[in-house]
Order: sequence, then structure tokens, then C-alpha cells
Amino acid sequence: MPLKILSVDDSRTIRLIVGRALRPYDCILCEASNGEEGLVVAARENPDLILLDVTMPVMDGVTMLTKLKEDPALKAIPVIMLTAESGRNNVVQIARLGVRDYLVKPFKEEQLIEKIGRNVTLKKKEAALATIPAPQA
Amino acid sequence: MNLQTTSPVDIHQFMNNHLVDVFKTMLSMNATLLADGPPTHFTDRTTGSVGFAGDTVTGAVYLHLSSNFANQMATAMLGLPPEETPGEAEVNDVVGECTNMLAGGLKSAFCNQGHECAVSTPAIIRGTSFQIESLPDVRQELMVYECNGSRILVEVHVKYNQTT
Repeated sequence: MPLKILSVDDSRTIRLIVGRALRPYDCILCEASNGEEGLVVAARENPDLILLDVTMPVMDGVTMLTKLKEDPALKAIPVIMLTAESGRNNVVQIARLGVRDYLVKPFKEEQLIEKIGRNVTLKKKEAALATIPAPQA
Repeated sequence: MNLQTTSPVDIHQFMNNHLVDVFKTMLSMNATLLADGPPTHFTDRTTGSVGFAGDTVTGAVYLHLSSNFANQMATAMLGLPPEETPGEAEVNDVVGECTNMLAGGLKSAFCNQGHECAVSTPAIIRGTSFQIESLPDVRQELMVYECNGSRILVEVHVKYNQTT
């Protein structure tokens, strides 16, 4: 069974970079462009890992993470925050919410793979990465 | 309440390091600060902006680019073939995300100095002739860079409200 990874980011560019980094691995990438969509996709797809942006329209990453941790069906999914904000209080706040790890933008694709690999087992594959695109707004 | 005149963060120093890092890491491009950069005018400009606001500090970061260079950035970040022209939405997203990284880093630097603030989502302005006006009491910091033969202008507007 391929791993299922959910990328929640309002930037299509970041979701594309995540997809590109994961392409050599046996993964299915699910996408969402804000926290509200992210919760819907997480409930539907039950991903093995969530990569979550902080500042997003509609619902931000901290709110999505809070709601995720309140949901018994979703709270065990490991979450890595992908954020442009590295301030101490910001990091402490998201750590208290039960985030597994965080990666500060800008980041290299190798750094992203290393963080993901610490939380789930990535296996290389030959075929192209399958992608489930974000729902259309 | 009074207006603080000295910045708790050396914006020039911070932005110089951070912009070089963002461009190197995300775009594989080398940007160089022009020490006494001449005024930079773009005939066709794409500008990313991200605001930040808190109790003691408010402001915005603007990333001004020629539209041609903004296209080059999108091509680099999205990994497109050089002959492929990125669409406007793709360029806007790339410029917005780079501006977000610059503003997010600056926000973190402010927060680490006790000036908690939040950042907005990015906005894009395109045009041939526009100027960002700053309000009274707002410090305006300008930094000019050279990258791949193009100019990059970073404009930071910041206002400190220090409760005394």
C-alpha cells in the first residue's frame, strides 16, 4: 500500500514542490488549499501524514491542527508544520498543540524528505507519484 | 504611548541575509545587495505584498520585480522548461510565496524581540506606474539587489508603538 500524504497549503507552488520531492517515493499526494478543505480531505482520505501551512485564508493551520486533535478519528495522524514563521513563541504554540515536527520556509526538498522520513517510512518506487488535486474553490 | 524611533530588529541586516537565503534555497538564484543601489524603476512591475500587525509593531513587506524577472522566478521555482512561459496565476503564486517567506522571517525576528505580530496572506499588484505611499510615522526601508542581471527592490514599511 502506498503512503498517503496530505499537503495543506494555500500556495499551489508549495504543493507542487512537495509533490516533486515525493515523486520518487511510493506515495499518493492529497492536496488542500486551506484548513477547512484540509479537514474534509483528512477525514475522507485518512492520510498517513499531514504537511500543514500556518498562514492560510478561510482556516489557518493552527485552527486546523486544533480541530484535528479534537477529532478522535484524526488526532493520531502525525502533522509536520511547514511555515515561513520560526519565532520562538510560534514554535512553542504549535508544539503544544501536538505537532510532530516543523520545517521553516525556505527549505530544500531534501530537508522536507528528511523530516517526512523521520515520521513515516518512505519507500522508493519507479512509477510516477499519484496526485489527488485540491478541490476547486 | 509614544513612537519608538530605533528598531528592535536591524531590518537591513536581517533582510539581506534572508532574501539571499530565500532566492538561493527556493530558486537556486544568487542575489547580491547593491550597497548604494540607484533608484530602481520598472516599466512593467509585479509586486508581492504581505502585511504584519501586532500591538507594538505594524507594517508590510513589498517585493518589487520586473514582470520579466517574476516570470523567470516562476520558471525556476516550478521547475518549468526554460522555453515554457508560466501563467499569470503561477507567477502570482510564486511571487506571493517568496514575499510570504521574507515577511514570515521578519515577523519571527520581531516576535523574538518581544514584538508579537501576525502576518497576512500575500497580495499581488501588477502595473506599469504605481507607487507605495507610506503613512506618517512609518519607517520606510529600501534595499536593492541584483540577480541574474535584473533588479529586485525590497521595501519594508514599519511602525512601532512602544507603550511606556
